[in-house]
Amino acid sequence: MPVTLEQSEKSNVIRLDGAIDIALAAELKKLLLQALGSGREVSVALDGATELDVTAVQLLWAARRQAQVSGVSLALTGKAQEQVTSALRQAGFADAATA
Amino acid sequence: MPRQPEKQSSKRGETVSTVQQVDQFKGNFQEEAREILVDLEAALLELNENSGDMELVGRVFRALHTIKGSGAMFGFDELAAFTHHIETAFDEVRNGRLTIVPEMIDLTLAAMDQIRAMIEEEAETPTANPGVRAEILAKVKRLAGKPDEQPSGEKAAISQSSPEAKSVREHEWHIRFAPGPEMMRNGANPLLLLRELGQLGGLSVRASLEAVPPLGELDPERCYVSWEMVLSTAADQDAIRDVFIFVEDACELTIEPAALPVENAGHPAEMAASEDDVVAKALEEKRTPSGGRRTYDKPDSATSLRVPAAKLDQMVDLVGELVTVQARLSELSARRDDSEITAVSEEIERLTSSLRDNSMNIRMLPIRSTFEKFRRLVHDLARELDKDVELTIEGAETELDKTVIDQLSEPLMHMIRNSMDHGIETAQLRDERGKRPTAEIHLSARHEGGSVLIAVADDGGGIDKKAVLSRAIERGLVTKGAHLSDGEIFGLLFQPGFSTARQVTDISGRGVGMDVVRKSIENLRGTVDVASEFGVSTTVTLRLPLTLAIIDGLLVSVADAYFVLPVSSVLECIELTRKDIERANGKHLVEVRGELIPYIRLREQFNIRTELPEIEQIMIVETGMGRCGFTVDQVLGDHQTVIKNLGRMYRHVQEVSGATILGNGMVALILDPLRLALSAVRAVARRPGGRPGKPGGSNRPRDHSLANAY
Repeated sequence: MPVTLEQSEKSNVIRLDGAIDIALAAELKKLLLQALGSGREVSVALDGATELDVTAVQLLWAARRQAQVSGVSLALTGKAQEQVTSALRQAGFADAATA
Repeated sequence: MPRQPEKQSSKRGETVSTVQQVDQFKGNFQEEAREILVDLEAALLELNENSGDMELVGRVFRALHTIKGSGAMFGFDELAAFTHHIETAFDEVRNGRLTIVPEMIDLTLAAMDQIRAMIEEEAETPTANPGVRAEILAKVKRLAGKPDEQPSGEKAAISQSSPEAKSVREHEWHIRFAPGPEMMRNGANPLLLLRELGQLGGLSVRASLEAVPPLGELDPERCYVSWEMVLSTAADQDAIRDVFIFVEDACELTIEPAALPVENAGHPAEMAASEDDVVAKALEEKRTPSGGRRTYDKPDSATSLRVPAAKLDQMVDLVGELVTVQARLSELSARRDDSEITAVSEEIERLTSSLRDNSMNIRMLPIRSTFEKFRRLVHDLARELDKDVELTIEGAETELDKTVIDQLSEPLMHMIRNSMDHGIETAQLRDERGKRPTAEIHLSARHEGGSVLIAVADDGGGIDKKAVLSRAIERGLVTKGAHLSDGEIFGLLFQPGFSTARQVTDISGRGVGMDVVRKSIENLRGTVDVASEFGVSTTVTLRLPLTLAIIDGLLVSVADAYFVLPVSSVLECIELTRKDIERANGKHLVEVRGELIPYIRLREQFNIRTELPEIEQIMIVETGMGRCGFTVDQVLGDHQTVIKNLGRMYRHVQEVSGATILGNGMVALILDPLRLALSAVRAVARRPGGRPGKPGGSNRPRDHSLANAY
């Protein structure tokens, strides 16, 4: 699966692999909700992703906002691939790409 | 980052519903692309005539550009790559670096056929395959003076053509783009659109995530992000809008000039450095105070909708049923004599009538696209036959029922092929006859009463009646020495397998043409008429009904049988008394304001053996070959007639064009006045001493009227 959630006692790790687009959006949302719902810290590993489309960006954005509100830590880990960041920058997500 | 449309679509294959949606969106693309191709073709052919018209060049370029861009968006990569090269050539033309030569037009037309094949996702054929495409590209490049510098097209189509420093005036545009709720679900990817936009010039983008709702409420397949952009480009507003052409209905889009035109702003590096400032400045004035309400939330966002034709057919069927039920209600209310029911029934009748007109109207389309298609046919055939022919079009805005239009292409094609091949003479013969070297084919459409007349006229050699006649005698269709009228002779042309062409060419002469034309037009309840002057011209006219589903009829009765006549053909009703009959000496003629009009007794025509009423009614009808009357017992009034086919058993009965169900459950036959009159003429002719039978089937004679026949 290109989107996976590894849950352990301490943390939740969501791993993104390949092109993360609308076809995976529902799955990603489910996993994000599940991870945030656990109350433990969440990290999203971006390094495997070759593409993030709008649906993925807005999900991560919403997840981060929710995490802030509920006081859960949500971190984007791993260095995103150059093609992903440049595409996001091109699409005007300058902040999102660097965050 | 490379585009990965195939990858996307294969991934979407994991969820069934998305696949369907993508297919649907792809279908929309294909449909729109077809329309663009029609326009492209017309523009190219016009360009052939006026090679210096830069507006036409622009039109061609834009069409190619749109097909390329949208094609890439929906995964037609090969299409995009191929189109890119043709587009590049036209870009050169646009910039004055290349001049249009006829070969270029021909190549582009050939390229267009390839594009069409790719859009339709047809399997490779001898005429449409990568080999042919490579050949076309090589030729285009040679013309453009760039022999094969880019062997692989893929790269070029994808590469970001950064704004070259052109000495064209660039403008800044402020663009606001907010995808609607369904846009992404339909398969469109806003990021690809932005990239497409970036190819037009220097683009600075700012995405707004403000509208993204909390995670729990978020619809994962909807795009909540909106974009504010400043684009610095030499392209005009239309070109920018074209980028969004396939999603325009599904998004909110504003394109406004942002600032004064900047002279030669071709320094992307500088632009990039200050891009945030530019955006910020441009946005400052533009920011909407409410900041989030989108047009699709308002009720009037879309001005037109694309609806599958099948849905319309279904609606018309339902309206048909409704009309039938409404007739029952009227009948019932008339019997009950209850003023309240009558009021409701009348109201429903009024509504049904406008509902019917409305739904019929929805199906009406201008015949333009069908007509425009033939420009190409004429162009190609002229080349092939080495004839100089010009196609002129008149009345392309005439509207016809979609079903009728759909079935018109083929007969019209046969007619035009016939004109091109047999009608129009060789250049030499035209010269001898003192005609203009450029022959003309005139395609026209106009309304006449409840029908539409579509004519194909050429100023060619006309029909050689002697040749037709001798060929008919040869084939045993006519006996030697028979005297036929012009109309009857032209009617012979519609006999199956009839051709006077000395040799069978690719184009026509197999003798299938006119026969097919008549069959298909008769299927549409229309008629075909030929007029020709030998050596001067030929005109073939099709008379077609406006619609095939519901007509306004006049309900009449003979004894206990009901009939419907199309209201559009009925001129007036007069009474026929016993005295009138005696006065006419047993002839079926009645005098109407000094004119003698023949009439046909439906009673006799349909073998109804009851006693004649004291006073009969004659419906005077315009048949197209003179006036004629139909005698009935009673005229009951108008009737919204839903046409039902009689079924296979009765398909050879030409006098009746269908049947309808009346409010009281009875069935009424819908009469075809012209056919009925013709069959009456034939019946008279068969009587001893009558005129000989006509060989031309239903093709109506031009030189004898009904009155002569009686």
